Amino acid sequence: MYRYDEFDHGFVAQRVSQFRDQVARRLTGEISEDAFKPLRLMNGVYLQLHAYMLRVAIPYGTLNSRQMRKLAHIARTYDRGYGHFTTRQNIQYNWPALSDMPAILEELAEVEMHAIQTSGNCIRNVTADHFAGAAADEVADPRPYAEILRQWSSVHPEFSFLPRKFKIAVTASERDRAAIQVHDIGLQLKKDGEGGLGFAVWIAGGQGRTPILAKKIKDFLPEEDLLSYTTAIMRVYNLHGRRDNKYKARIKILVHETGVEQLTSEIDAEWAHLKDGELKLPAADIAAINAYFAPRELDARAEGWKELAAWKKSDPGFATWVGRNVAPHRHPDYGMVTISLKPIGGIPGDASADQMDAVAKLALEFGHDEIRVTHEQNLVLPHVALADLEPLYRALLAEGLATANAGLITDIIACPGLDYCALANARSIPVAQEISNRFGDPARQAEIGDLKIKISGCINACGHHHVGHIGILGVEKKGAELYQISLGGSGDENASIGQITGPGFEPDQVTDAIETIVETYLSQRTDADETFIACYRRIGADPFKAALYGSESQAA
Amino acid sequence: MTVIWTKDGIVESDPWIEGDAEQGPKLLSLADALAHAQDNAPFGVVLQPADDVTALAPILDRVAIVALSFPAFNDGRGFSQAALLRQRLGYTGELRAVGAVLLDQVPLMLRTGFDSFEVSHAPTIARLTENRLPGIDLHYQPSADSTDAGQGYSWRRTARANG
Amino acid sequence: MKTAPFKTKVLTANRLSDGISVWLGAHGEWVVSIKDAFLARHEDAVTAIETAGKQALADNRVVDVNVIDVEETSAGPRPFRLRERIRAEGPSIDYAPVATARVSQAA
Ligand code: HEM
Ligand code: SF4
Repeated sequence: MYRYDEFDHGFVAQRVSQFRDQVARRLTGEISEDAFKPLRLMNGVYLQLHAYMLRVAIPYGTLNSRQMRKLAHIARTYDRGYGHFTTRQNIQYNWPALSDMPAILEELAEVEMHAIQTSGNCIRNVTADHFAGAAADEVADPRPYAEILRQWSSVHPEFSFLPRKFKIAVTASERDRAAIQVHDIGLQLKKDGEGGLGFAVWIAGGQGRTPILAKKIKDFLPEEDLLSYTTAIMRVYNLHGRRDNKYKARIKILVHETGVEQLTSEIDAEWAHLKDGELKLPAADIAAINAYFAPRELDARAEGWKELAAWKKSDPGFATWVGRNVAPHRHPDYGMVTISLKPIGGIPGDASADQMDAVAKLALEFGHDEIRVTHEQNLVLPHVALADLEPLYRALLAEGLATANAGLITDIIACPGLDYCALANARSIPVAQEISNRFGDPARQAEIGDLKIKISGCINACGHHHVGHIGILGVEKKGAELYQISLGGSGDENASIGQITGPGFEPDQVTDAIETIVETYLSQRTDADETFIACYRRIGADPFKAALYGSESQAA
Repeated sequence: MTVIWTKDGIVESDPWIEGDAEQGPKLLSLADALAHAQDNAPFGVVLQPADDVTALAPILDRVAIVALSFPAFNDGRGFSQAALLRQRLGYTGELRAVGAVLLDQVPLMLRTGFDSFEVSHAPTIARLTENRLPGIDLHYQPSADSTDAGQGYSWRRTARANG
Repeated sequence: MKTAPFKTKVLTANRLSDGISVWLGAHGEWVVSIKDAFLARHEDAVTAIETAGKQALADNRVVDVNVIDVEETSAGPRPFRLRERIRAEGPSIDYAPVATARVSQAA
């Protein structure tokens, strides 16, 4: 993975002292909250309901064990002993004091981490496929390009006061595990006819109040043009994006209102001036960044095959876990292990400091010192020998981290909702917990199969409800919580936006409604191989609506 | 109190300062500047965020000062306008930020090519007068200010002392 | 036009230094429990707490200052809005790691 050089260390150290100065000016009253807010946001500091919140960047979701131990230490020292991993591969702390922020950032800098641009109207933490560098199906590792973008976008003088936030995601496989079609810029790394690397460029996807899928505006952008072309997009957006209404300020609205052809030609016109300038990436620089992400040398561990078969036979729990949470690695003797942060009835994405420490230790012992955070709020050890799966599983089990539910109905994404968030209309976490408890039986989950439930506590859609196979959106109606359910969303390469089923459900009816939807699917699917989303796409919304609201709804 | 600050300090009796327009030359809007470009008197122009800076190209050699207006601190269009003026149109004259200019934005504005600032927030004036800018002198991207090639990658730059 | 019956009000905010939710107490101090909040039972009292709130904001002691409606119960003031009840009582979930039963689903 990437290692800071002197320049990076110097930069982050200066950024920390800059923020220390900003916090000091605020605490002494030299600047007002209005002036301070954009400054704190640009460093990931929010004010929630009960306290401040700090969002720490985990660039493209990659961590080593030392960094994970530091996150645990911060949780213990400055927070209440836990943290929340988010859908943008970051971690949030819910209770830090403003006066402690500079110290926290200094601790993070020790392990090459920061909170730069984890909020604010700027280019946010760049996300990537959580299986990067390990997946069998990728063209090349997408993370070097995410790292180049991370560096280039850090404290960018021209793009720090954009109309609205700006999110970039990078993937390198046909199977999109980074949800690039719901990002402001989505990049798919690919090869041209001659084997040169470049990107299919998608722009103007987004969720929030107006969910829109991205449009592909370039089929192949050579890798050396990554920064010049991105600059062209950013400049056109910065100059022309709407600033009169914050709900219409994202690039998706600009593209929607201007038209994709028109905007693409403006971007291309701008790019013509920049293409051969100082932003052109020298091959040597790309190679140097790539070297940090050179594929791991993995020793042959063929003994794992035989052992694995025997272990699976003797322990059905282990077999289930391997079946669900271990995916094939590009090296046949290895697997990619998903560590579920979705214990049955637990809080999606939360991990205690002890659990973080445990994961750090296991990553060192079994995982070549690499950890990933997924946009589904789980952790991944991307390089584990099959021969090590059994001891890893035992250790995870002891920490409450061996829930065998990756991709199943209890692997729920939920935003913090009204339990923490100042913008929320309704709670998300208790809804997730109740659904998880209801469907917690392993046999039942297995029967239902792949099903993604995503929950947001307000229309900002931090919980990705628009792209959930089943999406749940909390709204406030007459002072009470109410939940709208949508069906058929998907955030992968076949992305789609879910459709609302009908009137919302009261808190105590939501789980029943989910059960009705699940039962309808089970009764309608052709066989157990037809997944929920495939079935929905075949039969449409009507059978589900009829089951939820009775047959009169079909007339409407 | 409103003052004009540059890297050399507070400017005494600046002719372009807003409000002192009665006697001295005046900052013209883009439309007026284009219409009066043939007049002999030196003139300056003040652009609003929605103005197209490239429209200035034909008359830029006659303009004494360009001011870019920030009606609100979070309206960042001026940063791109400045970059275009300096890097695309090759403008070398005075480039001023007017309006809502925050202390913490000044380093970024310097990097995109501004060289003078109209400020009225007292603590900001104090900090600027003491030359205590809250900037970072290591940059991950080329921009309009004069910098040295940074260590390592092509996109990096380091600030020049007094540069 | 019918005027709505008066509802008791309290002043709430978050402390600047650590962001913790606070309420204005009877002696102008900021307290960490809504039970100790000063209850504004008529318009003049509401004006007074509003003024105190503006001053505390200007003095950079608190942020996000709001007057909220509460119901007076035997257990103390109870906000009408769920949002404010959660602010007063803390997250409605069992978030603290020791308390969370992390039963992993092994089999
Ligand atoms: C708790 C404090 C949070 C606040 C105040 C907040 C605020 C917002 C807002 C205002 C938006 C809508 C932006 C727009 O449409 O322009 C948004 C979207 C989003 N947020 Fe959050 N958020 C919070 C927490 C989170 C968390 C915990 C996650 C991850 C689990 C997250 C991830 C996202 C994502 C993925 C989106 C949608 C993507 C998009 O905007 O297109 N946020 N957030
Ligand atoms: S979706 Fe709404 S409630 Fe949930 S975290 Fe985002 S802003 Fe808060």
